[in-house]
Amino acid sequence: MTELIHIIFYKVLIFFKSNSRLTFGSFVKNAGSGLVYLVFAYGCLMLSQNTIEYLLLKVKIGSFLLHRFVLVVLSIFFIAINVGNMVVSYSTLYKSKEVLFLITKPISFTKIFLIKFLDNFFYSSTTLLLIIVAVLFGYGNYFNFSLWLYPFILFFLILPFMFTAGSIGVIVLLTILKLASKWGIKKVLSLVALLYFVGVITSYYVSNPMKLIKQVFDYYPHIDQYFGFLENDLVKLLPNYWIAEALYWISEGRLERALPFIYVNIITSIVVFSIALLLAKKWFYQTWLTSLNINAELKSRKKEKVLFFGFERKSRLNVFNETIIKREFWLFFREPNQWAHLLVMIFLISIFISSISGIDIIVLDVYNQYLKTIIYLVVTLFNVFLVASLSLRFVFPLISLEGEALWKIRSAPINFNQLLSKRLLIYFTIIFFIAQLITFFSNYQFPAQLAIIAQLNAAITTITLVSLNFGMGGIFQTSKKKMLLD
Amino acid sequence: MLELINITKKFGSFTAVDNLNLKVNAGDFFGFLGQNGAGKTTTIKMISGLYTATSGQIIIDGNDIVKEPIKAKTLIGYIPDQPFIYEKLTGREFLFFSGGLYSIEKNKLRTKIDETIETLQIGDWIDKRTEEYSQGMKQRITIASALLHDPKLLIVDEPMVGLDPQSALIVKNVLREKANNGSAVFMSTQV
Repeated sequence: MTELIHIIFYKVLIFFKSNSRLTFGSFVKNAGSGLVYLVFAYGCLMLSQNTIEYLLLKVKIGSFLLHRFVLVVLSIFFIAINVGNMVVSYSTLYKSKEVLFLITKPISFTKIFLIKFLDNFFYSSTTLLLIIVAVLFGYGNYFNFSLWLYPFILFFLILPFMFTAGSIGVIVLLTILKLASKWGIKKVLSLVALLYFVGVITSYYVSNPMKLIKQVFDYYPHIDQYFGFLENDLVKLLPNYWIAEALYWISEGRLERALPFIYVNIITSIVVFSIALLLAKKWFYQTWLTSLNINAELKSRKKEKVLFFGFERKSRLNVFNETIIKREFWLFFREPNQWAHLLVMIFLISIFISSISGIDIIVLDVYNQYLKTIIYLVVTLFNVFLVASLSLRFVFPLISLEGEALWKIRSAPINFNQLLSKRLLIYFTIIFFIAQLITFFSNYQFPAQLAIIAQLNAAITTITLVSLNFGMGGIFQTSKKKMLLD
Repeated sequence: MLELINITKKFGSFTAVDNLNLKVNAGDFFGFLGQNGAGKTTTIKMISGLYTATSGQIIIDGNDIVKEPIKAKTLIGYIPDQPFIYEKLTGREFLFFSGGLYSIEKNKLRTKIDETIETLQIGDWIDKRTEEYSQGMKQRITIASALLHDPKLLIVDEPMVGLDPQSALIVKNVLREKANNGSAVFMSTQV
């Protein structure tokens, strides 16, 4: 325990030292970040408050359906934290130099795992937590929450919920690597991806939000009552259900009915975290060695393959363009972090598109015309969020990603600005194409005029966000970091 | 002090170390020579507990590195070829952090840190953040951190890479002195 406290003390010290040296640059950076967050938080607060107001007072969906909407949003959060932690944990637990350093010291593997897990959880979930806090304030403001309820909800509902998602992510990662030593990494990854896909689709069909909305609207206009009896029993086993249900009862001023959900939420997070620790005790070092073997296997296998799109192959492009495109292509697909994140994003996009396609907007119109407006706005917001995520993840680090090979580029007889423009063009084209495609599939049910506005909106958003991220990436470049999440 | 018995290490189908046997006694200065890709670093990583051997046994002062890793690691001072240092900490903070990992009592640690600062001629750099250090200074801090707990076995992986002549001389002297004082020094370098 003393060892653990000792390491955590120094980790906290490093965290504060990272932000404590006051220079003009760091002041501008921190003040700018703070300002951006404040404006963003205020936006989130107003958006959540006004959306709730709109849904309850104008659309009149009732508090029960509002909290089913919260349940759906929470399920997206859960998957995002879960998959995010799984991917980032691979970097922090299996590829970090700090782990290499700690393994050579007389510290147990479980402690190393614990330190890196917490490190990873707090770093990778902080942004999401900040968004949740802002949204929570908007939500609480609408329902006139007492001040003590905010930290109460945060510490006893949200944090354990996020911790459960993160712990499950790490359990899955440990299991993947454990099984990979027997079955091979490709088979196991395909199996896990399939299981996740089936799991998400099944939970969507089991919870069937569209059916629930229709059933609740059968009681129209008396829909401001509790309709828990319409819910499928399987949904009640999900952590996002417990949170949504607890929030429902808290917003109704009946904390005593929320308490069982709060207890089960906390106990689950403790149990899941304990399982993660137990598995780490048994498997962490073993799987750490497996990851070395996997890397070695992949490396030795690559030698044998004749490369498609290889550097040595002739191309119709001019030599400079060809070199740039091929370098981008191979650097991207040989870095597991890059394509893993892309796969996760494609996975989430597929779920989103399949969910949106399942909504019959004409049928919804019969019940309530305002719902169509809500869906259009949500789809637009999602598209903006998607372009923002893709730009932040892939365009922002473009300049920093030149990394340790920057000397080669700088000493070559080429125009650096021209090189960067070409790299930007490659990523811009890909993001633009993805954004346009998703906008088309998520808006085709709307009237033509609205669909065209959505396409134009997506185009303008892509140009703005990609340019903004590219520029900011140049200002805040760091050639030491390989990637945003390292 | 150190005994490697029939050590083999395979990564998938690739054999990095093949049936290696060796013995290093207390006070020995053991030079581990080989070409690039000969398996020196892999062997060192197995001795320091980073990797486990596919077959064979590594014994450090009677402790098997796989069966009793914590005990064995307490006896080792490991200086890697590419050292890891927390860049936001000062050299002194990093040494206090490293000493804490070996549960060295605070007062004893303070004295030990002062001694190593002098031996390795770190000077005023000790209270600057390590992100400002040159390669040579980073290497000196890494060596200092490996000496704090008076290890019985010092494992050094290519210590002279990227070092300026002054740093190289200091490192050589320190390692020689450790061997003279009864520790075993296991040092790898290229031929």
